[in-house]
This record gives sequence, structure tokens and C-alpha cells, in this order.
Amino acid sequence: MSVWNYVVTAHKPTSVTHSCVGNFTSPQELNLIIAKCTRIEIHLLTPQGLQPMLDVPIYGRIATLELFRPHGEAQDFLFIATERYKFCVLQWDAETSELITRAMGDVSDRIGRPTDNGQIGIIDPDCRLIGLHLYDGLFKVIPFDNKGQLKEAFNIRLEELQVLDIKFLYGCSKPTIVVLYQDNKDARHIKTYEVSLKDKDFVEGPWSQTNLDNGAGLLIPVPMPLGGVIIIGEETIVYCSEKAYKAVPIRPSITRAYGRVDADGSRYLLSDHAGLLHLLVITHDKEKYDISADLRVLGLKIELLGETSVASTISYLDNAFVFVGSSHGDSQLVKLNLQPDASGSYVEVLERYVNLGPIVDFCVVDLERQGQGQVVTCSGAYKDGSLRIVRNGIGINEQASVELQGIKGMWSLRSSTDDPFDTFLVVSFISETRILAMNSEDELEETEIEGFYSQAQTLFCQDAIHNQLVQVTASSVRLVSSTSRELLNEWKAPQGFSVNVATANASQVLLATGGGHLVYLEIGNGLLTEVKHAQLEYEISCLDINPIGENSNYSTLAAVGMWTDISVRIFSLPGLDLVTKEHLGGEIIPRSVLLCAFDGVPYLLCALGDGHLFNFLLNMTTGELSDRKKVSLGTQPITLRTFSSKSTTHVFAASDRPTVIYSSNKKLLYSNVNLKEVSHMCPFNSAAFPDSLAIAKEGELTIGTIDDIQKLHIRSIPLGEHARRICHQEQSRTFAICSLKYSSTEEYEAHFVRLLDDQTFEFISTYHLDTYECGCSILSCSFTDDSNAYYIVGTAYVLPEDNEPSKGRILVFVVEDGKLQLIAEKETKGAVYSLNAFNGKLLAAINQKIQLYKWMLRDDGSRELQSESGHHGHILALYVQTRGDFIVVGDLMKSISLLIYKHEEGAIEERARDYNANWMSAVEILDDDVYVGAENNFNLFTVRKNSDGATDEERGRLEVVGEYHLGEFVNRFQHGSLVMRLPDSDVGQIPTVIFGTVNGVIGVIASLSHEQYVFLEKLQSNLVKIIKGVGGLSHEQWRSFNNEKKSADARNFLDGDLIESFLDLSRTRMEEISKSMSVSVEELCKRVEEMTRLH
Amino acid sequence: MWRGVRNREEGRIHPHSFARSVRTDRLSSLDLSNRKEIVSPHRGAINSLQVDLTEGRYLLSGASDGSVAVYDVQHATDYVGGSLIAKHKSLFFVDKQHEQCHKYSISSAIWYPVDTGLFITGSFDRFIKVWDTNMTQVEMNFEMPGKVYGIAMSPVATSHMLIAAGTEDVQVRLCDIASGAFTHTLSGHRDGIMAVEWSTSSEWVLITGGCDGAIRFWDIRRAGCFLGPTSNSFPAGQSFSVKSKMPQKRTTHGSSLKQSTSLLKGQSQTKSYMVQRQHPGMMSIHNRATAHYGAVIGLKVTSDGMYLLSAGSDSRLRLWDVETGCNTLVNFEASRLQTSKAIQLAVSDDSSIVFVPCKTAVKAFDVWSGRTSQIFRGHYECVNCCWFNPHDQDLFTGSNDRQILIWSPSNSVVPEVEGDGDEGMNDDCDSWSD
Repeated sequence: MSVWNYVVTAHKPTSVTHSCVGNFTSPQELNLIIAKCTRIEIHLLTPQGLQPMLDVPIYGRIATLELFRPHGEAQDFLFIATERYKFCVLQWDAETSELITRAMGDVSDRIGRPTDNGQIGIIDPDCRLIGLHLYDGLFKVIPFDNKGQLKEAFNIRLEELQVLDIKFLYGCSKPTIVVLYQDNKDARHIKTYEVSLKDKDFVEGPWSQTNLDNGAGLLIPVPMPLGGVIIIGEETIVYCSEKAYKAVPIRPSITRAYGRVDADGSRYLLSDHAGLLHLLVITHDKEKYDISADLRVLGLKIELLGETSVASTISYLDNAFVFVGSSHGDSQLVKLNLQPDASGSYVEVLERYVNLGPIVDFCVVDLERQGQGQVVTCSGAYKDGSLRIVRNGIGINEQASVELQGIKGMWSLRSSTDDPFDTFLVVSFISETRILAMNSEDELEETEIEGFYSQAQTLFCQDAIHNQLVQVTASSVRLVSSTSRELLNEWKAPQGFSVNVATANASQVLLATGGGHLVYLEIGNGLLTEVKHAQLEYEISCLDINPIGENSNYSTLAAVGMWTDISVRIFSLPGLDLVTKEHLGGEIIPRSVLLCAFDGVPYLLCALGDGHLFNFLLNMTTGELSDRKKVSLGTQPITLRTFSSKSTTHVFAASDRPTVIYSSNKKLLYSNVNLKEVSHMCPFNSAAFPDSLAIAKEGELTIGTIDDIQKLHIRSIPLGEHARRICHQEQSRTFAICSLKYSSTEEYEAHFVRLLDDQTFEFISTYHLDTYECGCSILSCSFTDDSNAYYIVGTAYVLPEDNEPSKGRILVFVVEDGKLQLIAEKETKGAVYSLNAFNGKLLAAINQKIQLYKWMLRDDGSRELQSESGHHGHILALYVQTRGDFIVVGDLMKSISLLIYKHEEGAIEERARDYNANWMSAVEILDDDVYVGAENNFNLFTVRKNSDGATDEERGRLEVVGEYHLGEFVNRFQHGSLVMRLPDSDVGQIPTVIFGTVNGVIGVIASLSHEQYVFLEKLQSNLVKIIKGVGGLSHEQWRSFNNEKKSADARNFLDGDLIESFLDLSRTRMEEISKSMSVSVEELCKRVEEMTRLH
Repeated sequence: MWRGVRNREEGRIHPHSFARSVRTDRLSSLDLSNRKEIVSPHRGAINSLQVDLTEGRYLLSGASDGSVAVYDVQHATDYVGGSLIAKHKSLFFVDKQHEQCHKYSISSAIWYPVDTGLFITGSFDRFIKVWDTNMTQVEMNFEMPGKVYGIAMSPVATSHMLIAAGTEDVQVRLCDIASGAFTHTLSGHRDGIMAVEWSTSSEWVLITGGCDGAIRFWDIRRAGCFLGPTSNSFPAGQSFSVKSKMPQKRTTHGSSLKQSTSLLKGQSQTKSYMVQRQHPGMMSIHNRATAHYGAVIGLKVTSDGMYLLSAGSDSRLRLWDVETGCNTLVNFEASRLQTSKAIQLAVSDDSSIVFVPCKTAVKAFDVWSGRTSQIFRGHYECVNCCWFNPHDQDLFTGSNDRQILIWSPSNSVVPEVEGDGDEGMNDDCDSWSD
């Protein structure tokens, strides 16, 4: 690998941190807006559910997300503040469906200490000001003027240093905040302050309340007519206002999120750390509702509704629908029922949104041995823990297969027009046509359709209207009854001409014979009519009349690909009048054209003989083609076919790199299929194999189902407990995990080492760790002179009174008959944070020490771990990687150091160190000299060993060569790749490292050659000028390395997400970039597409 | 810490809170380091200690025999005691043998804040010398009118390279490394200046403490107004005065704030809210208010730039709110301070603990409550200086007994160091006995 790295997101963040509901896109529409750390998603509430409208990246980690409506506006604005002290106000532009920036700015201060308990951003309910608590002891105010514009911000000193929460009170004549804080003696109180905008200062507020619940952590302001605030504690919930103080005891729990149900604020949803959803009701004397001034709060009631994922945010949508956003499990759309179900729960989960976060650990394996890596993550926390198997591309799950050589085409046919299932599978060979059908035993059996001509290759087959079938061969078109299976009518090719290519739909046939003759037939009841004939100047290479208009049986347009002038033409039907001619350029003829509609948008796809694919937007009325784009899917000719999965139409591109083309967010996406080479594909939806595809590949006909259509395929294995470490063992074909389960009392955790089958993911063996013993690290390795593969588990005894574990164990297991057998153990003087196989020995990181163990044979034949040498001098050696004799250590707070094992002396010595004070979260060795680290402030950096340094001082220093702000907390790096490595492609040679983060991001770091790096860097700097960040946030600032001490521009890292967004640009913008880089658009697309293949 | 690491990787606590809680834990467990030792080559009292601000790696010490030394505190020169105790010998040492050496006691030795290529020493021989670290040569000499008590450079400066010097003389002088000349002479104190300290929030603000008991704030961009006749129309804006001590920090700060704001509005056209954040400590020469009864012998600004700690020869420690100029009235527990010379205070990086040399001990006070949180006893004679290295939470102290001691976080890990050694022994025994 190299120092020039390319960082790209393979799986976007899925952990939901914030959400809010309001009329954002239009005054009539209700929107749910979700923040996923560095992205926001805007959804529209429809009777069918949530409909995604926009998903955009934010150049910052979102700290605050609030909707508000300034005076005189009909719809809401969105306020976003980022952790790096930027804020912006966004408005929806209905015309372009984009976000416009109303205001933006920087709210950082030179003075002050960043708050301990997270940034707070709140907006006055009467929209007089925005309040931000970013630094201890300071409250920043951004006032609104009369027109709803933001004015210059100012700070007010806040006496309370340990602020837990701040909210604006409703119904106050002056903006009033209520502050929940902790004093020097750890007691918690609330206090109110009026914000005097004129004096830019606080005025003591109307009331305060001292000595609250010691666990009080959340404030809920209650709207008028009640007013006041609800304080959520761990043991009590208190309603507090100027006039009233009501408390209700609750079962001890930590409430993390709330959602308001009614606009008048009398009911709230609360979710606690165990994922229990409660309803909190404020009871008041309703009779006096009219005389609102006298409305009195009588008390609080709390009721358990049921269980959801552990929520980080709750948004009550409408009509008892609730969005539960989670960062520790899947987010959910739930419905609150009026009546409980059998288990007493009022909560019905309607939809789950996959969340991989937090990815605590993962491993890269190739379970199917296809040469494509899969990532198995330890995801989720608490009860929502799970393993997720993440695989790139779409999987075909084989159901049946037969050996068949030389397939030239396949079509499925139904036995009658209204039969929901396909009965026949027509398989065409070079000189014959065979028909397969499902028999009564659900087996594929060869059969016959009498009316079909089976002694020649079939060019096309189709179900036609009036219970008929159409077969096109080189010499004729045959219309056959699907019930009697007899020939009804036949159209014969003129003498001396044979049909070269043909296509049909339910009521039309279009074929081409040699000499550029194009013949259009229509299908009647038992009749084929030649409607039109045209002669073109060149030979025709491919045709399509897939109906995409309103009539699903009849197409008004025909697409034709031409030899010689390499063009694709659109003809209108039935007249066969030329509508559009588009030259494709180059010398490769189009081999397959397809008219199809994605998300209601009509496209023309045209595939070439060299694996390239053009796509055009098609205007259905004028037949015009626009927005031409070219992508490369493979190297061999492509055959395009449509199929449907989950009632959505997709396109299958069969070639040496089979690809599924689908659309998301009105954007065409290409996802590869986990098959090597596919020559033909047709959908085959039979009763025995519903929703299946028939696939012809290398001498085999396979019938299989297809996964959900998405780029990354994620399979979830819920564990019901929290997996923390995972590793795979090839020899025993098992996974081992360290996991823990919270007991019902929540006071105690039980820890296990579990063995899982790597195919079924079932627990096959469990080892219970001791009381208070936790699994910290796991490794599969073998030792010198012992070829057995062992699972090694490092543990720590975490006693309740101990701050730092002072005892741990290293356990050595062997898998015998599917069971974990403990064969050796070694006590350690601390937590075993990391384990590595090292020169046939075991290297463990134990608290501040690196310890090497050898595997010794005892006299009685048993084995034991014996410590050989060690190295001190770390604060806490948390992350260790090894390569050869080198050991790279990521310290808790002292960045990366490089140790070397000296064989002669049997000693470990420090070779070099990075003297920066980086608090590490993960390290990995990229190559002999370059190491990558992730640190506490969401940065990535690379350091290089400086073996050629002139002085000892230089050699002893790891030189920082790359810096980058990722904006994600990386927990683990692993070498490997998510995609199939094709040896012949350039991309196959690029080494990659995969990382997993707390927010569920799976990312890829690819090491580029210098030439690639320079090229893409130039492209990136051009893209930065063209693609503006949402809310006017700067890309350069976002990606700059940033910690408490310094901020430095990103170097030697490229933002792959930005670079790959080049492919989404419009043609004109692409050309703009092409011009300023003086590289052709095609070349740029090709280079960027190559990079997209990395993930 | 184990739990913290786990909570951090699960995203339950923000990584910043994790780092902060680890720092706090480590801070509360500071003890005489049994892992690291500094071998002091000085033959006189250690008056000044500073670890460089860039890498947190090189410790600079200045002593009363006129010697300076630099140590690598990250990388030990050799190990003793089974490689468990790291000895840090000086990388270089400048003493009387060196021809350019100071004649008398060095009162203050500081690093050039941007890199470790330069360091600056101030001495009772009236000279301030700028040294090239690599060559150990004096690059520049500033001759002052009297003994140099203290020097300081701004850690946040990006547009100037000024050394602020407090001397026997009543004027504060700013020496410019870029030009080699005095750029400013700040008059206001009525006696010598013991302590100089730059603000950590603004590169233009300098704070000085004099033997007259006053603490003064200077905005060096507006230095002229102190000298000109307009200073008369500039009444005691913010007096750091015990006499004008506010009875309640919160109730009165508003009024004093407004006063300063309005004053400054007249002076400058800056945006109003900016003014509030600036330092209104523009004091007049006519203001005789004092911050301490006796000399101000130590000053330290907290790293968040919001508070100033001062130590006086009245043996008092005071915490000032920088913005308003008010005494926060934190009552620091009584302690006897050395009164004869300047002391160097240190503040932890989260501004929660202040380390104060109190005779032979160093006391750690909680900044907000004033309670003594720890007492570090180890020196045999009076301690003059301490320095807190935020990189690994080490505290360095220097004393009249010529020693530099390191106080390191001793979380439960360290006692096992011995245990680890034994463990190795036991292991050997086990294997032999089998």
C-alpha cells in the first residue's frame, strides 16, 4: 500500500441521532427529518408510509437538528448545528427539490471549554432567538429580527458550569430558558433565566427548583396552556412550573428520548435504556379548559406501552404512528394500538430500518469461497445486539440447476394469459429449441409445444394476448395457441432473407432481416398481420419494443441498434417513422437495447459489445433522448432483460460481470451480482419457484431467487445479546464471539464465549466466563510446532469497585466435535485488550504492557502459555497489529508507536513513535512502512517509519504523512475487500482496508498509485468548486484534520464520496470539470467508475 | 477506564467526554512517578520549568546558577531497575562554561511557542537571551533596565513574536524577536513586575502582576492610550481590586460588564458583542487598586481563557473572571507561599486543578471550590515552579533543592509494575519446577 489513500463509504451511517417532524417541504405536507450523524434524510408522510424525498450528506457531525417556523412563514425551516461549531438554516425549494441555505455561520469561540454533556441547541417557541450551549459557562444567543432573519450572535455568561439540559419555556413574554444543572456537590437543580436581548444578558427567571432527582437528565418544556417543564429523572418524573409541582415515581430507568404526542403537550412518549416505551400523561382539570388561565395540573400518570429498539430519538408522526430512531439497534416505524395485543403490548412494529451501528468489531471472510469478501459485524448494543453479514452486490440463491451447454437464449411462457405463474421455459440452442416445464413433482422436465418449431434456434418468444404464444425463428414468426398449443398462424420471412434479430411484446412483433429490413407485425386473435416494412441503410444489430407507456401490451416506440454507423434509433409505431437517431461513437456495435421505466422515469438503455452501457432519458411523447451517460459494466457483450422483484421492475445485464440496474432516488444504480459470468437470464416465476430467475452460465442452467435489490446486501442475525468481538476460524468453519447479556435486573452482565457455525450462524457451543469476567479480545491462531488452530480469548475481571481491571485471563480453546474445549489458561495482571499471532507465538496487550507468550510443551504432553518477554511504557496499549517482527501499538492517548522484536535477545524494543498526543481508537498496518490510525476526534492519519533518517532522533520518530477528518469514530480496521477481485482489472490491484464505525459506517481505504492520486486530487479540487456543501458548509474545513490543539488541511487522503458524486452530476457540469481538467468526460467517468468498483 | 473504552466503542459516551473523564481520573491520581526520573544537572535552585507546547516532549529548565538544560521527557536516555525506571538525562546543558551563559540566576526560561528551535531565558543579569536550540548559541540579546523577573510569549499568537518581560523596572517591555528591538513599553505599575502572562484567548492581551500588588491587563494594540493624555478620560475601567471586591459574583457582574462595554464602545468601532468578549482591563495609571496585599508573585490563565489565577506574597490565591475583571471570590484554602521570589503556577488542561508551590510542597487546589485536592510532598526545600504537561498528565516541579521531580498519574496499573517483574520470575520458577 502507499501513503496516498482514498477513503470512501461503502455503507452510509445508519445510526439515527436526531429526528423531527414538521411541514418542511410544503405547508400541507408533513415531513419526518432524520439525522444520521453526517447525513440528513427528508421523508414525506403518506398514507402508504414514509416516502423518502432527499438524502444528503452534511459536511459536519450534526449536533442539533431543529425545525422552526419564523413569523410570517407558511412552512418550517431546518436549523442544523454541527459539532465543529458551524450552523445553517435550510429551506426547501419545491421547484428543484433541493435545500436552499437561508443562513449559515460559525459559532465557535476562542475562549471556553467545550461542554462535557454534549452541545445543546434550542429555538425559542416564539421564534425570537436561537440558543446554543457549546462551551461551559457560556450561552450563545442568535436573535431573530422582525423579518425572521438571524442577527449577530452574542454570548451570555452562564453561572452554571455543569449544565445537563437547557430548554425554552413556552408562553413567556420574554424568551425564558430553564437550565438543569449539577452543582459542586453533585446535586441537581433547575433554574430559569429570562434572556434580555436588549442588554444581552440574563435576568433571573420567574422560578427555580432545587435538589431534584440525582439522575435528572432530561427536560421537556410543556406548551401552553399548561406551560412549565417536565423533568425526567431516574426514579421520579416531576412537573414543575411557577404554580405547580407534581411528582410521580417511576421504575428506575434512564430515559434517553422523548416525543410529544399532542400539540397541547398533555401526552409524551418516553423511551428508556431498555427500549421500553412509556406514555406520560399530564392530567389537568379539563372542564376549565375554556378559561385557560386557570388550567391546573393535577398530576402525572405513566403507562408502559411496549418495547421498541433502544431509542435515541422519538418522533410522533400522526395517527398513532411513531418513528423510533435508534443508534444501538434498528430504527423502527411503530403504530400505537388502542388495544393491547396478546402479550400486553400496545406497540406494533410496522417497519424496521437497518442499522449497523455501533460496529464494535468485524471480520472479513469469504464464506462462499467465491473470491469476494463479506464483512461480519458485531452490531447493535444492549438487547439489540446482532451479527450482520454485509456483502457487496446482489446474491442469487440457487434453487435448482441442470447442466446444459451452449444456451443461446431463454424465455419463460405462461400457459394462459391470466395465469399468474410461468409454466414453460424455452431454451434455445444453436440448432434446436427445447422447452422445459414444471411437472407435478415440481421438477423441470422437457416437454413440447406442438406449434413451436424446435429444429432451429429461437430468436424470441413471448406470451401474447388472446392466450397465444409467439415464437420467432430465422425463417418465420409462429403464433401458437397456449391452450391447444397448436399453430394458429405463421409469417414467413421472404425468400432469400432470414430473420436476424427479433423482439415482441404481447401484441406486437418487430424483426429485422438481413439487408437492413425492418418488419413490424401486429398480433390479432389467431392472426399475424404485417403492418409496416422499412428498409434502413445498414444492418440492424438489436431491437426492442418493451412497452413502457400507459398500455402495457402495446408500445408506441421502438428502439433499434445499428451496425456500421454505430447508432441507436427510435422509431414510432406503427408507422416505423424515424424519430431520433443518436450516434454512440466508437467502433463497438450496440448489442442490446432496452426501453424501460424506473420509478416512472422512461429510459433507453443500450449495451455495447465491449461491456459498456449507455443510458438516456427518453421523452415518451417526442421520442427525444437526453442526459446521455456511459458506464462500463464488464468486458464482454451485454444482454439486457427486465425482471421484477418485490413488484418493482429492474434490469438484469448479463455479461462477464452480471449487473442489476435499478433506480433509487431517481438515480440509476448498478449493483453487481454474485455470479461469475452469465450469458442469458430470464425471469421464471413458477409456482414451485416463485419470483425466481432462470440463469444460463458456463454450461449450466440455474434457477434461483434474487436478494433484495440494493448495493450492499445485509443479513441480520439477531443475538438478543451484545456481541463485542468476533473472529473466524477457517479450519473449523466456525465463528467465535465474545458476547454479554444484561440480566433482567440490569445490575449484572453475564459474559460468554460462543461458537457459531459459519453457515447457519447458530450457537453450537458456549463457554461461560466467570462472574465479573469480560471478554476483551479474541483471536484464531496456531503456534510454532503445533498445527492445531486455537481460539484465544483475552479477558478482564471488572470488579465493581475497581477503576481499572487488575486481573484477567488468556484462555486457549480448541474446537473439538463442534465444542469449545478449554485447554490452557494463563492469568494476567490486567485486561487483555488485544491479542495477535506473532512469529508462532502469542502477543498480548495487557493494560500498559505488551507481553509475548510462547506455547510450551510440558512434560505431561499438555501445553501452556509461558511469558517470554515484554515491553512497558504505554499508558494503555489498546490496539496492536503486527507484521513480521514489527509491532504497531495504538495507545490510549499517545498515538502510534512501533516496536520491534529482536530474535537474538528475545526482547521487544521501541523503534519509533509518533510524538503527537492522539487518543487512538484503531490502528492498522498498511505496508511495511506506513501505518494508519484512527483517533478520538474522528480523524484518520497515517505515519511512516523513517528508516533512512540521518539521526537517531529522526529514525525514532514516526513521521505523520497523511491527515484527514473522517467524521466517524472508527472501531476497527481490517485488510480485505468487499468486492470480487478480478485479476485482469486495474482496480483488482489496489489494496484496500475496510473500517467499521460507531455509526454503522463501513468504509474502505484504498491505497493509490501516485499517478492515480494526483489525477483524483485534481478532480476533487475541481469538484469542490462545483458541488457546494449543504448549508454552505465547506468541504475543505470539514475534511481538515482537527483536534483540541490544531487544525490542519487534509493531506494524502482523498474524499471518495465526493469524487464518486461526479457520476451524479449533470452532463453540463461534467463538461465544465472536463474542460478545466482537460480530460474527456468519458475518461473521467471511466476513472471514477473504476474507483466505485472498490466497494 | 476499561468501562470507558467499552462505552466509547459502543457510542454510549462521546469520545470527548471519554477523554475528559480519563484525564480527570488520571489527574486525581497524580503521585511521585516511580517510572520516570529526571537527572538534574543544575547546581542551583530550579526557577523555571516548561515543556514545549508543540509535542509535549522537551522540558526546559532554568536554574539560579545561570544554567539551562533540556530533557526529552518522552524518550528516556537509559533505564535502571530492570528497565522499569526510565532516566531522563539532559539532552544538553548550558552552564558557566558556556561563553554566552547568563552571569546570574535565570528567573525564567521559556520555549518559543511555535517550535522547539528557539528558547528564551531571562536572568537577574538584566539580559534576555534568545537561544538556538540545535546550536545552543545565543541568537539575540535584549538588555533590560534591571533584573528580569519573568518573561512570557503568547501561545496563541499568529501575528507577532513578542517576548513580554517583567523586570525590576516599573515598565513592562515587549521585545520583538523579529526585529530584535523593544516594540512596546507599558507603563502603569508602580513597582517591579514579578509575573507576566499572555492571554490564552487573544494574542493581543497581556497580563502582568507587579510588586505593587496590582494585576494589569494590556491590550498591546492600544498601548498608546496609556501614555497619552486620553488616559485621564479613561477611568478605572476594570480594577482588579480587593477593595472593589464584589459581594456576589453573579448579582453584580452585569453592571460592571455594562460599564466596560460602554466605555469600549466609545473607543472602538468593533461590533458590540465582540466587545464583551474582549478584555476590558484597561486600567489607568491613576488607579491604585491592588489585587493582592503585597506583590503579585504568580499569574496563570486557564487554558479556556476565561479565568486568571493569581498568587500574592500575601499568601493568597485568587481566581479572577477575565471577562468581567471580577474576583470570583473562590476561597482557596490557606497556604503559606514563598514570598521572596516569583513562583510558577500550573493549571491542568481542563482548568479544574491549579498547582501551587507552597514552601516545600506543591498543593493542588480545585479551581472552582478552592479546596485542596492533593498535596505533593517530595522536595526538601522550597518549590519554585511547576509545569503541567497535558500530553500525558505529568506534573513537573522544580525546587531550591536543585531537583526536578515528576508526578505521574498512578492509576492502579502502576503498582503492578513490580508485580509484573515478579510475575516474570514466578513464571520462570513454574517452568523450572515442572
